[in-house]
Amino acid sequence: MLSWIWCIPALPFAGFLVLAVFGGRLSRTLTAVIGAGSVGLSFLAAAAASALFVSYPPAGSSFTLLLWQWVNMSGFSPAISFTLDSLSVVMILVVTGVGFLIHLYSTRFMLDEEGYSRFFAYMNLFVGSMLILVMAENLLLLYLGWEGVGLCSYLLIGFWYTDPENGRSARKAFIVTRIGDVSLSVALFIIATTLGTLDVREIAQKATAMWPVGSTLAVATAALLLGGAVGKSAQLPLQTWLPDAMAGPSPVSALIHAATMVTAGVYLIARTHVLFQLAPAVLLAVAIIGAAGILIAGLSATTQRNIKRILAYSTMSQLGYMFLALGVGAWSGAIFHLVTHAFFKSLLFLGAGVVILAMNHEHDVFAMGGMARKSPFTFWTFLIGAFALAAIPPTTAGLSSKDQILSQAWQSGSAGKVFWALGIAGAFVTSVYIFRLVFIVFGGKPRAAAPAGHGHGAPSGAGVAAGKDGMQAGAVMGLPLFLLAVLCLVGGFLSFPQFLGGKPILVGFLQTTLPQGSVAVESSVQTEWMLSIVAEAASLLGIPVAWLIVRRRLRMPATAAASVDNAAHVRFLQSGWGFDWLYDRVLVKPFMLLAKVNARDVVDRFFDGVGGLNMLLSRGLRWTQNGRVRWYAAGAAAGAVLIVAAVVLL
Amino acid sequence: MSATDLLGLFPLIILAGASILVLMAAAFIRRLVVSFVVTLVGLVAALAFVGIAWHHLPLKVGALLSFDGFVLFGFVLILAATVFVAISSWAYLRGRDDEGGDYYFLLILSSLGACILAASAAFASFFLGLELLSVSLYALIGWRRERAAGTEAAIKYLILAGATSAFVLFGMALIYEATGSMDLFRLARISSADGLIAPVGLAMILVGIGFKLAVVPFHLWTPDVYDGAPAPVTAYIATVSKGAMVVVLARALGPAFVGNGGVSHVSTAAPPLVAAGFPWVFALIAGLSMFAGNLLALREKNVKRILAYSSIAHLGYILVAFLAGGPQALRAIAFYLVAYFTMTLGAFAVISALSSPEKDADDLEDYTGLAGRSPWTAAMLTTMLLSLAGLPLTAGFVGKFLILSAGAGAELWTLAVIIAINGTISIFYYLKIVSVMFRGAEAAHAGSTGHPLPAEPAPAGVPMSGAVGAPLLAAIAIAVLALAVVALGVYPAPFLSIIGSFTAAGG
Amino acid sequence: MMLALLVAVPLVFGLAGWALSRRSTDWSRWLTLAANAVNLVIVAVLWAGAEGAFTMGTQPPSSPWLAQVRWPWIPGLGISFSLGLDGLSLALLALTAFLGIASVLASWKSIKEKAGFFHFNLALVLAGVNGVFLATDLFLFAFFWELMLIPMYFLIDLWGHENRHRAAVKFFLFTQVGGLLMLVSIIGLAVVHSMASGSLTFEYNELIGTAMSPVVGMMLMLGFFVAFAVKLPAFPLHTWLPDAHTEAPTAGSVILAGLLLKTGGYGLIRFALPLFPAASHSIAPVAIAMAVAGIIYGGLMAFSQSDMKRLVAYSSVSHLGFVLLGIYVFTSQALSGAVLQMVSHGISTGALFILVGALQDRIHTRDMNRMGGLWKQVPRMGAAGLVLAMALVGLPGLVNFVAEFLVLVGTWKVSMAATVLAGVGLVIATVYALRMIQMAFHGGPREKWDIPDLSVMETCVLFVMIGLLVGLGLFPQPLLQIVDKVVAGVLAVIPSGGGA
Repeated sequence: MLSWIWCIPALPFAGFLVLAVFGGRLSRTLTAVIGAGSVGLSFLAAAAASALFVSYPPAGSSFTLLLWQWVNMSGFSPAISFTLDSLSVVMILVVTGVGFLIHLYSTRFMLDEEGYSRFFAYMNLFVGSMLILVMAENLLLLYLGWEGVGLCSYLLIGFWYTDPENGRSARKAFIVTRIGDVSLSVALFIIATTLGTLDVREIAQKATAMWPVGSTLAVATAALLLGGAVGKSAQLPLQTWLPDAMAGPSPVSALIHAATMVTAGVYLIARTHVLFQLAPAVLLAVAIIGAAGILIAGLSATTQRNIKRILAYSTMSQLGYMFLALGVGAWSGAIFHLVTHAFFKSLLFLGAGVVILAMNHEHDVFAMGGMARKSPFTFWTFLIGAFALAAIPPTTAGLSSKDQILSQAWQSGSAGKVFWALGIAGAFVTSVYIFRLVFIVFGGKPRAAAPAGHGHGAPSGAGVAAGKDGMQAGAVMGLPLFLLAVLCLVGGFLSFPQFLGGKPILVGFLQTTLPQGSVAVESSVQTEWMLSIVAEAASLLGIPVAWLIVRRRLRMPATAAASVDNAAHVRFLQSGWGFDWLYDRVLVKPFMLLAKVNARDVVDRFFDGVGGLNMLLSRGLRWTQNGRVRWYAAGAAAGAVLIVAAVVLL
Repeated sequence: MSATDLLGLFPLIILAGASILVLMAAAFIRRLVVSFVVTLVGLVAALAFVGIAWHHLPLKVGALLSFDGFVLFGFVLILAATVFVAISSWAYLRGRDDEGGDYYFLLILSSLGACILAASAAFASFFLGLELLSVSLYALIGWRRERAAGTEAAIKYLILAGATSAFVLFGMALIYEATGSMDLFRLARISSADGLIAPVGLAMILVGIGFKLAVVPFHLWTPDVYDGAPAPVTAYIATVSKGAMVVVLARALGPAFVGNGGVSHVSTAAPPLVAAGFPWVFALIAGLSMFAGNLLALREKNVKRILAYSSIAHLGYILVAFLAGGPQALRAIAFYLVAYFTMTLGAFAVISALSSPEKDADDLEDYTGLAGRSPWTAAMLTTMLLSLAGLPLTAGFVGKFLILSAGAGAELWTLAVIIAINGTISIFYYLKIVSVMFRGAEAAHAGSTGHPLPAEPAPAGVPMSGAVGAPLLAAIAIAVLALAVVALGVYPAPFLSIIGSFTAAGG
Repeated sequence: MMLALLVAVPLVFGLAGWALSRRSTDWSRWLTLAANAVNLVIVAVLWAGAEGAFTMGTQPPSSPWLAQVRWPWIPGLGISFSLGLDGLSLALLALTAFLGIASVLASWKSIKEKAGFFHFNLALVLAGVNGVFLATDLFLFAFFWELMLIPMYFLIDLWGHENRHRAAVKFFLFTQVGGLLMLVSIIGLAVVHSMASGSLTFEYNELIGTAMSPVVGMMLMLGFFVAFAVKLPAFPLHTWLPDAHTEAPTAGSVILAGLLLKTGGYGLIRFALPLFPAASHSIAPVAIAMAVAGIIYGGLMAFSQSDMKRLVAYSSVSHLGFVLLGIYVFTSQALSGAVLQMVSHGISTGALFILVGALQDRIHTRDMNRMGGLWKQVPRMGAAGLVLAMALVGLPGLVNFVAEFLVLVGTWKVSMAATVLAGVGLVIATVYALRMIQMAFHGGPREKWDIPDLSVMETCVLFVMIGLLVGLGLFPQPLLQIVDKVVAGVLAVIPSGGGA
């Protein structure tokens, strides 16, 4: 009944192939149709598959489709096979759904760029790989998708390849995540060699059977998996690539670096939750990494000037919430937040994209302003996104998911209270930085236009740019914004908190795959109220604070503003807590130095030496060939003496 | 001695007669071709009688000469080599000498000496052959009086050969004093029982042998003489005079090493010679010769000198097999001699073919772009060089393989590894020549000090026509040698069995 | 009979092409191409037969050989002209024929002077390589082993780039010292065997399982090991390779990287392990260390090059390290992975050299500092370069990933440290591969080039090669199955307990 699900990832791949082979010769319209259409069809297929899955749940609430045996060796036989369970159903819906909206948006957004077909080829390749990742039945196939999305991320960050800076950011992203990937692959080696399988379901069974809780192998494996996860999801200590990744076009940031790829780490941990449950220490580490990420990234976001970097740090901080959720055992809560985050963060990025286009590729927020009046539609959609991010009504998306995470954190043991407190602090910081952004960009009146120069679009004034505003851009760019805004408003009802009369639809659905969570969610209604009121208070408090900060900042004379920006702590936060600086000193510089020093293969010097020695000996011997007869005779005589001596003595 | 025993002498007699004939013919008809033809006939006739003698082995002529399969093998080798030298001399002498009767006279005479040396069974005949060979070589080396280098080479060879002959004589005297025997084969049985004198005497004789073989430390004369002598004569020195000496060495001292484990186990009840330090001496000489020869050649720019140095190394290889002892070793020596003769003669034949009346083609520059000018010549020389380097498809590869097997059979591992190392070193300078030949002609004139050879496009059909007016015969000779090298390299089986019969028959 | 053809056909066709090239040089091109095509057909037929043998089990379990030829050659020395075919040789023969075609097509236009002699040498190398992959008489093996060198030397020395003479000699000397030491070992082995059995023979099947003292075994094994390690090349014996690869003409580089390096790995699997199991087992730790060092060092060196060909050459050092690793950990996954890596590296690096060669033909430099931003000019080249760079990275979906993953999975059981360090090597691979793409195709143009994109023929060649990489990356099983029996056979004789 579901045996056709292979075409869900196949469709985007087909689109990629067509665009890759004929890309150059296709018209932009046709390219757009193929690029966005393939993903759209894939979304329809995914929707149909999900509908079938929900209405006729297969045995064991999961369906597996074996395509062919990839490698078939004794003790190691991964297959090319897809699996459909509640987790992957949710993921494919998010990937294809949000993905389609962003493709639709891109058909207009990228219209003036060269390499139009290249862009959509990469995007389709990405969606295909992401679908492989989430549908893979065994970890090796998952790894295939995992690396594929990494590649696409690299290609799309460096899409404007003529600027070496973009290339640098792209390489940074690929290499840093690749470090995590190696850790992940080592985890795969352990699993393959000790459990003899890479099939997720078999792993779950065998691991629980063979590895006692807290056993070395379990901890090591979980830790290595976590290493892979932090790489992809830009969590400590491998988070440094994400802010630079904003060099890519805004739709890319929305799709890859907000909605889908960066959440792969969360997905991986959820997918292999059994192993993490066998390693409580690692699970705690996940929570700690998450909590730390929330604040570190959030605080960094409050000082950024680049609109996209603000959103990037916000993404890191939100992923921190997901990690926290996983860490405290709120498995389905984490996935729920993943879904809602996909809604509001991609909305924010797409809105920011409109603003950036309108500002003629200006990224500095302090050069913007008054956008509310210039493009009200963008403003309102963006505002909804901001509310959702800050988890403030009337939006429900962020609200309900974050509420769940925090309440579960509260109830998860002694450390839980600390995590909860950090989460609340994070909520406050979140609304500070996002509303700071909103006030600066949309409030007031237009400030000094961008210092032209950086940026890639047509060098046109605000007039033309205004023509690119969401409204005038018409349905193509407006529709995705609108739909995402709607999702932000109602998305929360997928699992609205029970004490508010909601029903945990999505969470319940997910719990056919994911465990209930470490603690029972049914706690007293009072606590629930108390917790969410505190959370709301924190979020709401952020708005006036942000307003004060912005007002003060904007009224400052330029010099004072400059001095504030150059204050040590500001620069520290802006630089993302100096991790780049650290890694540069500890890893990059030494590597470069080593490469530079040894550019001419020191080993070869040795063999040159051997050759030189021969030549030297040759020269020495040629001295004996001096043409003098008496010398030759002497040589012979000496030889005679030697022989005689040898004969006599031996 | 019976009449059949005389059969062994016939080749020698014919050679002697031929030498006189050449001289007389030259006295009447002063034409190069005549003396050449007479020489050729004489050599072929001698070869024929070797064939006859083959059926009556073993033969013995008094105490002086004795003939066994190996000796006849040596005869064939010497005579055949002389034939090729005679042919390339013909090509070489044209334009330099109108008749050259005495040249061929000396050539035959030295071959006679070489044969006597090979067949010698006693000190007297040994010394006779040695001197006959040397004396006629003095004149041949200095043949081109107009060239100072030639005369100088001749004098050097004269002095050093004379000195070493003195050593030989002294050594013989000592041995006679100690053992009261003039029998050459007595040498193999010398032992400490004969007191200290006899081994010392043997050591002295080795000096003479080492000089003829041009092995370290008696090799110093080689490059100068090779360089100074006319190309064909150089070929002759490199092959015949050394080959004859190898034959007599293998006959006289070979038995001393039979069945000995080589240097590795000196102690075990080994033949007497082994007890004295001779294996060590030979091992040392072999190793040093390989290294010295190859290292010296590395920086050399003169092709004739390069070949001189490489010949030193090749004799080193042969000594390893000699040291191994036993029938395997004898077969290896025999095969390697053939291979060495073929490729050396071939190489020098090409050189003399390329030489102009004014100057031998011995500078490396003379060979730049040769492949472009006359591909066939280049192909031939390449074949010879690759064979000298011991690469597959050529006789050199099989030869090196046989030597290594002999060495391994006697567990001479150290020497085997030394051979491997030297095989690598030698590649460097052989390839240097090859590479130069195949370089574009445009590089040829850049800094070419030598005479750039006239570029003649090769008319199809006649090979070798690129070389300076080389007559067809020389061309054919070279082609034959090249074919032999390849044949021995690709399918040595039949030839190995022939050698087997030679080394087995008699003695 | 068919086996002998595999060696004879290139030889004859090559000679004919050379002879006819006086009339028109195209003869040599077409005939060399034809020779490889014929070989490809023969291999296909043999492969089909092999599949049958595997599926129906008709192949006698006693003999590992799918086909054999044995003709007397030098009976006096116990030497015979004997060839044998098993899964391993089959896989590599297929690679040879395929890369042969690719290299001829790749240098179709670029070789102008002495084209006849060029293609003769090309054919001769291929004949030699086929011989190496087939010979089951050790003398014959050494014969072919040395035979490969001469034409390769000419290819580099005559048609190479700036420093071709030095590179050619260096290549020859390095391989020669190994070859001669191997010859000594071969003879030594035969002698040891004859002392035991009384009969002198060089036949692989008879020499196998010769009993010898540990010391002797180690000595003889080292002779083989050095020869193969030089050819592979294993760190620290690799330094001939960057020069040779860089200076060689495109076809030469393809053959060199694609095939000659593989003879090293082949030799280890075919001879070093089965003939000297005990010694191989005791040297394994050293070999593993060399392999890991090579993986990391090669990657580091590749990163520091600005000459594109040199970069690819050093990347070969790094990737062949996986082969050495896979061979000496003595697990079935790793060994199969090593074989797969030989094939994958042959295709991917061959393709890379074709690409770089095509680029050099156009802009007459390999210096990446003078490239940059070429994607705008030559998008097809850029795309191909990107895919091949991903092959260097070991991206899943390409066969290189399967190979390296298998090797590492197999290694993990034996040495975790080696596995992790090799993993670091993969990160370094990412670094230099991306750097190559950045310097060549991305970024701003540093110089103004006005060059045509890949020609139709070049595009087809590269497309097929990339297609193979992807195809094998998703369906490696047929290849793995072909070599499965060989792997099992080799591992059966190794003392248990693994390497390190």
